[in-house]
Amino acid sequence: MSCAPETAALVALLRAGKRNPTVYADLVEEAGSARAVLDDEQGLLAGQLLDAAAAEVTAWSGQGMELLTVLDPGYPANLRAVHDRPPLIFVAGRLAARDGRAVAVIGTRRPSPSGLDRARAIAQELVACGYTVVSGLAAGIDTAAHTTALAGGGRTIAVIGTGLLCCYPAKNAALQRQIPADGAVISQFWPDAAPSRKSFPLRNAVMSGMALATVIVEATHTSGARTQARLALAHGRPVLLVDSLLDQRWAAELASRPGTHVIRTPAEVPAVVERLTSTRTLVA
Amino acid sequence: MPTVRELTALYENFMLAPRRGPGVCVSCFNLTDGYRRCYACSHRANVLDVVAPISYSVAHEQLHHVLASYKRLTGEVARRLRIQLAALLWRYLDGHEPCVARAAGADAFPVVTTVPSGDRGRDDRHPLRCIVGELVAPTRTRHERLLRRSSANVDARAFDEDKYTTVRPLDGEPILLIDDTWTTGSNAQSAAAALRAAGAGPLAAVVIGRHVNRDWHENDRRLRALDQPFDWTRCALCAQ
Repeated sequence: MSCAPETAALVALLRAGKRNPTVYADLVEEAGSARAVLDDEQGLLAGQLLDAAAAEVTAWSGQGMELLTVLDPGYPANLRAVHDRPPLIFVAGRLAARDGRAVAVIGTRRPSPSGLDRARAIAQELVACGYTVVSGLAAGIDTAAHTTALAGGGRTIAVIGTGLLCCYPAKNAALQRQIPADGAVISQFWPDAAPSRKSFPLRNAVMSGMALATVIVEATHTSGARTQARLALAHGRPVLLVDSLLDQRWAAELASRPGTHVIRTPAEVPAVVERLTSTRTLVA
Repeated sequence: MPTVRELTALYENFMLAPRRGPGVCVSCFNLTDGYRRCYACSHRANVLDVVAPISYSVAHEQLHHVLASYKRLTGEVARRLRIQLAALLWRYLDGHEPCVARAAGADAFPVVTTVPSGDRGRDDRHPLRCIVGELVAPTRTRHERLLRRSSANVDARAFDEDKYTTVRPLDGEPILLIDDTWTTGSNAQSAAAALRAAGAGPLAAVVIGRHVNRDWHENDRRLRALDQPFDWTRCALCAQ
């Protein structure tokens, strides 16, 4: 659980919003305290801002949301290791220690029948190997990834581009309510935040950060999946491309980038992730 | 098990290769306003014969974050970052240790050691020793913990000849020092001063990241102009 005064201090810092949230993640981790950064930044105003923030934190907790700051031991370990991690995330449901073994499975909102089949097969293989399936709760590939993980008795995490009290798309409201029972829905946005053009790429960075690797199942040159591929490579995390994507020019270009792996069968996904993230030893 | 090439590939999209040229410090590859040496290198002793940074580490960007996190974090994530940094060091030394030796005026380095933390409390469990002494095949048989943080009351961040002590006298042998980050170089140069006082021969330092700020003067433009993806066939010392 978070140390409440520190959580409130971080909320106060972010509400005042003098800088980019990532800068606050750096400052707060370096100081080991959000309160110290708040006092430094707001001086005599700090107390008043802190009271207002504490009231908000209490209200959100009452609505069943958990707040995790970069100072909390429960903040996701994979996410902590990326430079643009958000200083605060809101969680519906529960993050488990085993969610460190997580892979993001993402793709288009308008998939073909074979794209959906592949997404389901990949999610099944991942669940069978004990991985948590991360996705973005969008229509299409994302929904197939989440629902397959749940149906297979696995864990799934939805990283959403709105606040936890909103739902986008509206038709996934039921899924958003269902996931917390066997996983978590997480958001880096204020609980009442509506979707915006800027929020989805920011959400993609968190989805990449939560996962050991990102798998792109089916996508076009306009998909948000491309954004996530770029962000994952910038995080030093592997990007796995399903081979059927390669007849598109953007995908062929992406496949030539270091850190990208082309996948021919669903079973290759957990195998490649396992090899690249093993910490036992290193070979020439 | 991951291979060195697979893991280094993950960093190639954001590593930035230092290159010699106008406005690049001849000692440490810092970016300057046209000066031959950066402020730090022209205002303290340069004991090291050569400094070889593998990449620039840009403040608040991914390599910088990893170089801080591998020491701060614990558990599986910390182990993963450690093995990735080990891969970078392994691949660099595999290809370019001869460049470092040549620049230092040595035939080879029979002893490899790490720069201890400037902060004594942190040095007891420094994960860099695990990287150099266990994970990196090109260094593990030559690694020796030669340096300790002394009890002298010196600033953890300043250059000081008394900051470190050596565990044994040296007999002119060339020594390769490894560090994760070079910011002002005060720790590595202090370590080199202690080794030289103990009788070391040629002294070279290989560092994973040479710290720079993107928002300083022309740095953003200059960093954008560096090669990407990263080219392992050339290093800061051998590139033309």
